[in-house]
Formats: sequence, C-alpha cells, structure tokens
Amino acid sequence: MKTIAVFGYNRLSFEAISRLDKELFQITVIDHDPAKATLARENGFETANIDFRSDDDLKLIGIGAHIDTLFCFFDTDSENVFLTLSARALDKELNIVAIVDSPESAEKLLAAGANKIIDPYEICGRKIHDMLKRPDIHDLFDHTVFGRHDLHLAEVAIPENSYLENAHVAQLQLSSQYNLILIGIVNKQVSEQLHFVVEEFDRRLSVGDILVILGPSREIRAFKKDVENEFCKI
Amino acid sequence: MLAKLIVYCAYYLKSADWYRSAKLFFYDLLENSHSRKKKYFDATMIGLLILSVIFLIYDIEHEDSKMGGYFELAILMVFIVEYCLRGWIYSDTYKVIIEEYEKALYLNLDFNLLGVFRKAFVRDIEYITSPFAIIDILAILPSYRPLAILRIFIIFRLFKLFRYSNSAKLFADALASKRFELMTLLIFTCFLVFIASVSIYMFEYQALGSGIHNLFDAFYWTIVTLATVGFGDITPQTTGGRWVTIFLILASLGVLSFFTSILIAAFSEKMLSMRESRTYAELERYDSFIIICGFGRVGQEIARHLHGERQKFVIIDRVPARVVLAKQRGYLAIESDASNNEVLLNAGICRGATAILCITGDDVINVYITLTSRHLNKNLRIISRANRHDNVNKLYQAGADNVIRPFEIAGLLAAEFVGQPVAFEAISGILHNQTEIVMESVLVSEKSPLDNQQIGQLDLQQRKLTLLGVISDNPIHLKHKNKYQVKQQHFYFNPEADFILRHGDMLVLLGRKYGIDHFRDQVEQRRLFSRKPK
Repeated sequence: MKTIAVFGYNRLSFEAISRLDKELFQITVIDHDPAKATLARENGFETANIDFRSDDDLKLIGIGAHIDTLFCFFDTDSENVFLTLSARALDKELNIVAIVDSPESAEKLLAAGANKIIDPYEICGRKIHDMLKRPDIHDLFDHTVFGRHDLHLAEVAIPENSYLENAHVAQLQLSSQYNLILIGIVNKQVSEQLHFVVEEFDRRLSVGDILVILGPSREIRAFKKDVENEFCKI
Repeated sequence: MLAKLIVYCAYYLKSADWYRSAKLFFYDLLENSHSRKKKYFDATMIGLLILSVIFLIYDIEHEDSKMGGYFELAILMVFIVEYCLRGWIYSDTYKVIIEEYEKALYLNLDFNLLGVFRKAFVRDIEYITSPFAIIDILAILPSYRPLAILRIFIIFRLFKLFRYSNSAKLFADALASKRFELMTLLIFTCFLVFIASVSIYMFEYQALGSGIHNLFDAFYWTIVTLATVGFGDITPQTTGGRWVTIFLILASLGVLSFFTSILIAAFSEKMLSMRESRTYAELERYDSFIIICGFGRVGQEIARHLHGERQKFVIIDRVPARVVLAKQRGYLAIESDASNNEVLLNAGICRGATAILCITGDDVINVYITLTSRHLNKNLRIISRANRHDNVNKLYQAGADNVIRPFEIAGLLAAEFVGQPVAFEAISGILHNQTEIVMESVLVSEKSPLDNQQIGQLDLQQRKLTLLGVISDNPIHLKHKNKYQVKQQHFYFNPEADFILRHGDMLVLLGRKYGIDHFRDQVEQRRLFSRKPK
C-alpha cells in the first residue's frame, strides 16, 4: 500500500485521484483554501487541515515518514516550488510529482527536487498535434490504454531466484503463452533507457530488469504471479 | 429593324462561348488581382514604361533616332490596345441592351434604342473619367506629334505604374483615406497663399530693388517661402513686406507640420491593414492548412510542433500581445475574433483549411467557434478544448470531432506515472516521438502483397518490428478474440499467427522509424511491381 499526499484540490488532482486504485493507494488531500478542502471532503476524500508552509505541519501528516509520493498540484508555480523544496529537505527518497503553469518554472521545480514535471498545456498541445498527425494511433491509445477498455500497460520486475533469470528474451514467448506483448526492458541500475525488445532477442534477463508489457489485466496478473513463483518452469 | 439586329447581336454575344472566354481571359490578365497572368502582364508593362521614359530622355539629346521612333510607336500601340480592352471589360454593353430589352418586353413598352445607347454611353463616360483611365489617356496623348508641347507629359506615363504595382496603389489609397483632412488643409493653404501673395504684391510692387514685378512673381515668392525653401532670389524690401514674410513663415510651419502628421497617420493606418492583407494573401497560396484559434500555452505548443514539420497553419487570436509573439516566431497570425464568420471565411475555412483547433482558455468561446466552423464547413475536422468537464458534451453537440480536456489528461498521466513509472515513461516516449522507437500504422491497400496474407508469414521479427495489433472495420475478423472497439472500428490486440489480413486493415507496428518506413516502402514496391505484368 502506497500513501500519497495531494496538495491542491482542483480538476487535475480530482482526475488523478479518481484514476488511482483505491485499494493500492491511500490518499490524503490538502488544500489551504477551506472551500476546496470542504469540497474534497464532500467528494469522499480524506483531507488534512495543515499549512504547507510549515515544516512541522508537513512532518505531522507523514512527510519524511510514511508518505511515498507527493503531488504538488497547486495553481501557482511559486507555491509548488516552495512545497517541493520543503518536502525534498525532509525526505530524500520521496517521489515528488509537480505540475507547472509557465514553462520557465519547470527548471526551478526540477532544481527544487521534483522527480516528475507535468505541464498540462504542453501535454494538451502534444496530444492535439498527435490527433492531427496520427489519428489512428491516437484514437487507439485513447480508447484502450488510457481509456475504459481492458488493455493495460504494466511493468514487471524480475525478482531474485526467478525462473526468468538468465533466460533469453526470445524464450519468453509472451504473446502466445500469455496474450501479452513485451515492449521493452529497462534496467534501472544501468540506465533509464528502454531497450527495445525486438533488437535484443539474444539478451539474457537478469535480476533487476523491468519488463514493460501491454495486455489485458487478467493476463498481466497471471504473468506477474508466475514470475514471482520460483518453482514455475517454462 | 436596326433595334432587332442589335438585340439579336446582344443575345448572340451572351451565349457565345468564345466571347465569354475571351472576356474572362482579358479580365484575368488586366483586372483579376489573384491571377498569375496579371502578375506577368504587370511586370511586362512596368518594363515597357521604364523603357519608354528612358527613350524620352535619350530623345532629348538625339533629336531623330529612328529606333526610338519605332519603339515609341510600338509602346503606344500597346497602350492604346490596353486602354480599349479595359474599357471593353468595364462596360458590358450587351448586358445593358438585353436588360433594357427584357424590361421593355415585360412592361409592354417600346424598346427605346436611344435610351439604351445613352445608358451604355454613361457607363463609358464613367470609365473614361475614372482616375486610372485619365492617367492612361495622359500616357497615350503626348505621343501625338502635333501636340508636341504635351511631350513633357510622357513623364506622366510613370503614373501608370500605379496600375501595376500594389504598393503604389496602397500609397494612393492611404492618401485617399485622408481626403477630408487633406481637403481642409488645401483650402486653408489656398487662403494663405492668396492673402500672402496679394499683400506682398501690394507692399513690394513699387519698392525699389524688389524682385516682384507682377502677381505671378508674388505667387512664386509665396510658394517658395511657404515651403520653407526660401531661395532668396526675391527678398522683401519694405517693412510691410517683412511683416508679411514673418506671418507667412509662422503660418507655413503650421501647415507643413499638419500635412506631415496627416501623411504619417494615413500611412501607419494603412500599414496595419496591409500587413493583414499580406497574411491573407499568403494563406491563399496554401492549399491545406490548419487554423489555430487561440495562441495560449496550448496553441504555442501545437504551433511549435507544426512549424517543425513545415505544416502550414494560421493563428487567430484577439489579444494583440499574443499575435505579436506569434509573428515574432515567424507564424502567420491574424489579430481578430475567431467567432466571427467573416474572419473565419477570410482565413480560408471553406477553401484550404483541413482542420480547426478551438483551444482558447474560455469554453464559451470554444463552443461558439466550434458551432460557427461547423456551420460554415460540414467536412472540416474540428478539435476543441474543454476546460470544464460539463462542457464536453456541449462541444460535441456544437459539432466538434474531438474534444480534449487538458487538466484531465494531465491528471490521468500523473496517476499513470505513480502506478508504473517505468512503463509510463517508455510508452510516453514512444507516443511522443522522443525516442528512436516509434509507433506507426501501415495500411494494407488493395492488391497489396499483404492482402490475404497470414500474420505469421510477415516475418516481422526478422524486420525488427513488433506488431501490437490490427485496426480494421472488416466484419470478417470479428470472430477473433481480443478485440477492442475504437470508434467505428475494432482493434485486434496481439492477433494469432493465422490471422488473415484483408485490404483496408491497418497494422499497428512498433519499431525504429526507418525500419517501419522500409517495410512500408517494400510493400508498396512489391504492390506496384506485381501489377505491371497485367
């Protein structure tokens, strides 16, 4: 179970929260505007009434302790930068996701210690551009991966002693065995780069490799279970 | 009898194809500012004009050069023909005749030939007295030898340049737009000149050593002084004359500054509209472009991408600062309200636009632009932005093809990122072309070698491509599992090796850009090759 603190309650945070699986994430919403905080409570979210400017208050809700992820979704960039900076000082490992209003602030947020910057306008612009240029693929992803259909993207890490350790990529046969498509492999210890699977058929899998797969959720679950099961053989 | 013949002729001309096409040809050549022919014609005429003036200058020193004479004659012929053709295009005599005849028939009156001729004649006079026609005549007349004194007017031919150059026309228009101010100034100046000339004449006529011997001298002196030129060849000798000079100089400063300010105002006003018309003129040359309404952050992002791909587009925004920004970045931009029919029509919504993006920050405006655009063009692709969730349906009702919600997409991405950061980064990199790996679709066209082939035979692994699935609306595939409805089509995810492709299907492939391009090229080549033997 991961815990997420969402600072700032607006359309964006509402959408993000409703997309998250309630069983996997425990979410706390914080907004210094009482009206918005009330609205969040009315919508059924757990809220906390603290001042984000005070480090003590931040510690109180669990930053530096049990909170894994922080969403800085305030409307003004300066508040987001301040929050990012305070939170990063309290916890070096915290996963901080921040939104940015004007593009200049992106660098400041990164410098303040944010892990991921989300620029709604940029994303929207890129999406519209995609709609114009590649309508088929855009529609496809909108309806499946990002939409209601049961086709999901997932990542599966290879644990120690897994049967997949030292296996060839070509041996996996995910598409026939599980109805999954393997897109690529990332090894975080080496680099963040995605190794595209078709070019690396003779690669041997090792512990810590993360497989990026696409498929229906049932198949993903089945595959994950088998990967974690030491005694399963191909 | 004569009337009948004339009416018959008029009807004949109306129905004659050759007549209409000839008229259209000359209209394109002389008047239609959008036609290419006019451009060439104008350039030729400008060349001829400059040549003729050069010959005039040459003639002053070399009295009777033969070549000059012939050339002069040739140019003259061209001018006369042009003058007549313009007159012909201007007046549609046969139309006037037919109109009058039908009116007479309808009202049961006698067909009055004289009246018709009078009407046609009035129209001719209209043409003859139009400023450009007068300039044309001025360019022709001086060549008539007995009117040798008019030779100086050949220089007036240069005025004809106004006809052929748009910028010169604009200057004339700018002046014309300030007609009232200029007229006021002119009247005032006339008064000033009259008073000053008469008074200096009165004071100086009898003075010793004065240069003013008649009223013309006084007039000449006034103009020289008024223009602040002051040659000094005539100077006032009497005290009265000097007072007149002082008064005239002070007044003339006012006149000149007034005149300058009118000119500057006129030109700066005209410049604005000129820039706008240049934007429209440029748009007219494009045959497929995108209209972007609203140049906020989203608009800027899209424009940046489109600009990088050399896709043509035009921006419409109401905020002057944004239009300036767009122009600074080298984009075409119109400062106007996009919810206005006329603005959209001018921007070419019915002519060359393939898509319109309504992406202002205000949903009310987006709905209105969407509605207007759909009303104007039924087939246009409309993509609109909804800032509030409740407005999505309204935008679809207004006729949008796609509605996009920036904040919700961003929220969705944030959620995806928290859940599966690695997978998310990987797929968003691919989707946004940030990596070398791209996702593209390859169409199975008719007679393509892919048609009726099994997926297992495609040998995609050897080509280093991954097949994600097939998009198709062909009902033949419906028996396969793993299908997902995408709009009117189905997406078959991870199809089995015995999935048989049909034409119209689309393969969704993942691979390096050149890998996919190579695959597509090969398919296309084989298709063309296989058709040849037939």
